[in-house]
Amino acid sequence: MVRGNLGEFVKGLWKENPTFRIVLGLCPTLAVSTSVANGIGMGVAATFVLLGSNIFVSLVRTIVPEKVRIPCYIVIIATFVTIADLFMKAYAPLLSRSLGMFVPLIVVNCIVLGRAEAFSSKEPPLKSIFDALGMGIGFTWALIVISAIREVTGNGTIMGICISRQFEPPLFMILAPGALLTIGALIGVINYFTLKVKAKAK
Amino acid sequence: MDLASYITIIISTVFVNNFILARFLGLCSFIGISKQTGPSVSMGVAVTFVTTMASLITWLIYNFILLPYDLAYLRTISFILVIASFVQFTEIVIQKKAPSLYKVFGIYLPLITVNCAVFGVAVLNTDVFFLHGKAVPGSFFKALLQGFGAGAGYTLAMFIMSGIRERLDFAEVPESLKDVPITFIIASLMSMAFLGFSGFKI
Amino acid sequence: MNQMAKFGLILGIICLIATLVLALTYEVTRPKIIEQLRQEEQAALKKIIPDADSFELKTLDGVEYFEAMKGSDLIGYCLKVTGSGYSGYMRIIVGIDPNGVIRGVSVLEHQETPGLGSKITEVRPDETEPWFLKQFKGKSAKAVAVKKNIDAITGATISSKAVTDAIRDAVDIFLKKVRK
Repeated sequence: MVRGNLGEFVKGLWKENPTFRIVLGLCPTLAVSTSVANGIGMGVAATFVLLGSNIFVSLVRTIVPEKVRIPCYIVIIATFVTIADLFMKAYAPLLSRSLGMFVPLIVVNCIVLGRAEAFSSKEPPLKSIFDALGMGIGFTWALIVISAIREVTGNGTIMGICISRQFEPPLFMILAPGALLTIGALIGVINYFTLKVKAKAK
Repeated sequence: MDLASYITIIISTVFVNNFILARFLGLCSFIGISKQTGPSVSMGVAVTFVTTMASLITWLIYNFILLPYDLAYLRTISFILVIASFVQFTEIVIQKKAPSLYKVFGIYLPLITVNCAVFGVAVLNTDVFFLHGKAVPGSFFKALLQGFGAGAGYTLAMFIMSGIRERLDFAEVPESLKDVPITFIIASLMSMAFLGFSGFKI
Repeated sequence: MNQMAKFGLILGIICLIATLVLALTYEVTRPKIIEQLRQEEQAALKKIIPDADSFELKTLDGVEYFEAMKGSDLIGYCLKVTGSGYSGYMRIIVGIDPNGVIRGVSVLEHQETPGLGSKITEVRPDETEPWFLKQFKGKSAKAVAVKKNIDAITGATISSKAVTDAIRDAVDIFLKKVRK
């Protein structure tokens, strides 16, 4: 499909949202969404890696032979992940520690390799930039939504600010089951409304 | 020989900190492949083989090459290349020696490269079993155990989930929850059950 | 050229460029990273023994510790302690006076379960420091034990014990060495 650059950007925000629609990159999504601050941090780091890898994969797409493309893409992605990791350790150490091993894990984030394989290996750099931005921001806002739900219900805070002293937050929302429940429910709700819209259109 | 700590590692990795249900590593394949028991267990076995061998190789690289030459920042890029090469190598060997097995795995084998559990356990080994740039006592064997446990826990979770999903075919699942969302919600319940292992004392 | 060799060459060149870029990034960020760790350490030391003017890093049998000096008087020691917690190791700094009485404890890094073991660093809304660590102040290091004079965190006995035992054992070993 031929789309304008703006179209490439916008698709990542909703229609082809990597988290809720394509359902990729779940591991970091669930693991770091214990607080909105973490969610934003991870989103920004992932977007940076997406931008870098999309640009460079697109630049070398004619040089790299098809048979070795996956290892080459992986090296490019790993380079940007390490750059992000080192800069975070130097300039945002608290966030780096919060996100822990999930920063290096961005290298196996299916979103990044997925976009390299499906998009930037076939499209010119400018389009790849818009694709990366759209996917990255789509990923980030999905993270924010999930983290907000978990942080408010599981910890009674938002961005670290305590918003309620009245209720004792159900701990399990911050723990593993809460993450799985949140994303299951969210995708279910989104599917429900999507089906409704489709039914109305008929 | 601290037997208790070795047992703790196995119990911790397989049950208490199960890689899928507690650490969220390996989710993409978990959601995608756990529809039937046969492929699920096969995938689990393959993943276990890769996690164990990857733990072994990456530990050696980290301890004898990266650390002594102050190259720890090359951890991400070297580990993922090792894993990618090893999976590729395994694929070739299986293709030659057991072609029928190769048909069963199909495209899932290369997907193990981006399985967060594999890269995750390699990184986790270097975070947990190294202190101040040196290996802790028994580090190598502990890393191997953790690698094996990661795969075993993954297989266990896949096996249970596939059993449930096979029976789910006979239940009336609401349209908007079908497939992905209901799997997440079931996983949430499984995760809650596994939380019960937290009180395990040796 | 042979196909395989060509593939290997291209991959090799990309790897080489990647490694050079990373080496450069590492050199650029390394001073800042070391500085961050040092600042965090200094802040923790100051919090534990506030009346010290300076902390001098010393080594004894390969173990690093700090001597807290007020003017030219030695008023205490700060030890870097590593504990084995529930989900990994913990980096702790404990400050003691020359008699082995604990002045304060600070947990710099841990990987405990959020909401449970992580409560070792939890600060209650109306307080200024973690309640769990505050318990250690004023107690003799060789006598601290969970259930005896330290209240464990509900549901996180292992994490609580890990911190307590690590402090007690490390201080014990250290004092024996330093008094020789």
